[in-house]
Amino acid sequence: MFEVRLWLSKQGRIKYVSHLDMFRLMQRAVRRAEIPLWYTEGFNPHPYISFLLALSLGTEGLREPVDIRIVDDMTPEEIKNRLNGAMPEGLKIEAVTTPVYKPAAIAFGSYRVYYGGVTESELFDALTCGELTCEKSGKKGNKKIVKTVNVSEHIKSFEIRAEDGKTVLDVVLPAGSVFNLNPQQLTCAVSARLGRDITAQRVIRLGLLTDENKPFE
Amino acid sequence: MGSIPVSLHVVLMKGCNLLDNRLEKILPLVQKPARYIGGELNSAVKDKNSVDIRYAFCFPDSYEIGMSHLGIKILYSIANDRPDTWCERVFAPWPDMEEKMREEGIPLYALESGDPIKDFDFIGFTLQYEMCYTNVLNMLDLAGLPVRSADRKSLSPIVMGGGPCVCNPEPMADFFDLFSLGEGEEVNSEIMDLYKIHKAKGSSKDEFLREAAKIPGVYVPSLYDITYNGDGTVKEVKPKDGAPEKVVKRVISDLDKVSYPKSFVVPFIDVVHDRVTHEIFRGCIRGCRFCQAGFIYRPIREKQPDTINEQCKELIKNTGYDEISLCSLSSSDYTRIEELLTKLLEWTPKENVNIALPSLRIDNFPEELMQKLLSVRRSGLTFAPEAGTQRMRDVINKNITEDEILSTSRTAFAGGYSAVKLYFMIGLPTETDEDVEGIGILAKKVVDEFYACPDRPKGRGVTVGASASSFVPKPFTPFQWEPQATPDELKAKQEHLKATVPSKKISLAFHDIPTSFLEGVLARGDRRLADAIELAWRRGCRFDSWGELFKFDVWQQVFAELNIDPAFYANRRRSFDEVLPWDHIDFGVTKSFLMREAKKAYEAKTTPHCRIQCAGCGSNKLNGGKCECLK
Repeated sequence: MFEVRLWLSKQGRIKYVSHLDMFRLMQRAVRRAEIPLWYTEGFNPHPYISFLLALSLGTEGLREPVDIRIVDDMTPEEIKNRLNGAMPEGLKIEAVTTPVYKPAAIAFGSYRVYYGGVTESELFDALTCGELTCEKSGKKGNKKIVKTVNVSEHIKSFEIRAEDGKTVLDVVLPAGSVFNLNPQQLTCAVSARLGRDITAQRVIRLGLLTDENKPFE
Repeated sequence: MGSIPVSLHVVLMKGCNLLDNRLEKILPLVQKPARYIGGELNSAVKDKNSVDIRYAFCFPDSYEIGMSHLGIKILYSIANDRPDTWCERVFAPWPDMEEKMREEGIPLYALESGDPIKDFDFIGFTLQYEMCYTNVLNMLDLAGLPVRSADRKSLSPIVMGGGPCVCNPEPMADFFDLFSLGEGEEVNSEIMDLYKIHKAKGSSKDEFLREAAKIPGVYVPSLYDITYNGDGTVKEVKPKDGAPEKVVKRVISDLDKVSYPKSFVVPFIDVVHDRVTHEIFRGCIRGCRFCQAGFIYRPIREKQPDTINEQCKELIKNTGYDEISLCSLSSSDYTRIEELLTKLLEWTPKENVNIALPSLRIDNFPEELMQKLLSVRRSGLTFAPEAGTQRMRDVINKNITEDEILSTSRTAFAGGYSAVKLYFMIGLPTETDEDVEGIGILAKKVVDEFYACPDRPKGRGVTVGASASSFVPKPFTPFQWEPQATPDELKAKQEHLKATVPSKKISLAFHDIPTSFLEGVLARGDRRLADAIELAWRRGCRFDSWGELFKFDVWQQVFAELNIDPAFYANRRRSFDEVLPWDHIDFGVTKSFLMREAKKAYEAKTTPHCRIQCAGCGSNKLNGGKCECLK
């Protein structure tokens, strides 16, 4: 059995396909591509496919890791070509590698957000004010709770520029199995700070990083 | 200020498959937005400048329901096989999406191109059940079109309808330009060919429709004048401008030669039936007297096992699905079922593909084959005795005995099953309290069978689910003249069953009575119901088959306001010599055959199935006198 890490880009209208639906979609794509998948054993065998980190509905991704297990050795090039011949529009395997890090090594996500309705300086002021907060729903035991999170503390780094009349934000936020903050929550926090709704017209996850700020591979 | 260490070697996509800005604005705000984006695998994408005909195939219900329907897949693939045609899919947007579309002024669009369907050449609806009628009007309106045929003056779009409900399309007659009766594989193409000629000539809509009415199977409702008697019944249906007296439904003579899709559009989201579906035969030999499908899809025509097997292989390859469902009205009546399953089971297990076989009759299925199927995957066990007593089952011609039900249950329990579902109907013609009680008694006998079985699954109790739906008399059945039980009567029957059910191991389920009542009104209605359907829709009715969205009070108000008595359609006994609103429609089975069957029902006499003895239903005339049961 071989572990293989696929690097998937998800762009365009397919961003509206949810994390749950992506699993079924990939399952069918690997079947069509006739990749020699390893099936779990037991009563209801299913292929091993794992999306390492969920992508929010509506967010595009350029380099999303997906782990699969295969039973026969197959070259990365062959896997990539076969899969790309079986993918629906908007999904593409950018690379096929052997996993370097364990999934738990994911610590940050790097995002690009195209904003309307906010200027560069307004956005800069909001992100540097030090008390940007948003509400985040979570679970404590079986109870649903709403926590107030200080977003400012969690912004690892950012850059702002203007492009075609839009304000473009590149930002690194915590991601992974321990704590997550997504650009939608950041947008809510900025809206609350400014006292008006700003819209993230396009949100793209550029890639994932480890704790040491190295690309997750 | 940090930098972004991930290299941006991937080129950001621009334009191409991005959606309209107005859609981008609303999609994040609605439930399951993937229903509205198109772009699914195997969807047909063409260059609109290189086709002559744009065809919007509309399913008047949600995406999840519509994408489960086999007919749309078949007709979609046949239309797109034509180089001159681009056929696209359209579903009814869920109310949250509809609201946003109306707010933003986004007209109903086709999924493949995103283009508004208002400018298409054809808008075709499949009418699968009566409760979708308000959705048809809503979709036309969302497209920006007048809902009534008479108010749509130009040649295009031609609004056409098909599906089982068009065996009595009269309640919807004012909204459609034409109906295509029966199986659409051939006639749709004939309609499109004729349209192309008239489009090139610059004909008017009326000119085109008059010619279209000459195509066998095409019913143009505006070419028929209906007059009524003083008592409200139909007096006469008079064709004009050369339209035929009777429009006969179309059938496909040879199922092995007709085109079947090589691929299915694979939805992104989970839909109701998300798998390869393969039709193994059309028609039914059984003749259960309550069942419209059993009569309107006649005559019997089977597909060859080799054809089915090869087509299934190709579909699995092109879709990546892991399940095949063999579909028909009664799978075990397929004469070559063992041969077919043997062929399929040669390759499906090693490809991790399951085979589902719905609609199995319990009386004639070989046990050995059952074991083979179960070895792949075990599904639920469901029986449809339909009625609780033998007398009642004889009336409805459900030729199944209590012994057969119990012995199959016994086998199932010994094989490890501990849950059984039983389907019944209440409100059947001649039904007594005793027949209603019989439902609980039969279910109890199934429970007892479990505890009497020494090999039953240990440590588990048994659950028997008994579902009792309300009988709705339908056109082209021997019960088409029958009064439907009134809502009060149905309520009393439900209560009686609840009060007499003899075991706690039986869980009862019922259908919503107002829904069954409205279904009964629409199923045997005439053209005068168009006003009620339109007004109900204008007052907000849509998705009437969805319990949470059904507004029965609105329908009641509408009937009262328009002075329409719904009981006239649902609860009135028709005499055998009454002119029925659908008498000018011919679905093969003759009126005299249906009368013979009705009379036998009153005597509780059964009719053997078609392979034992031909009952002379008359449907063989549709296939040049041929019927596969007459060999």
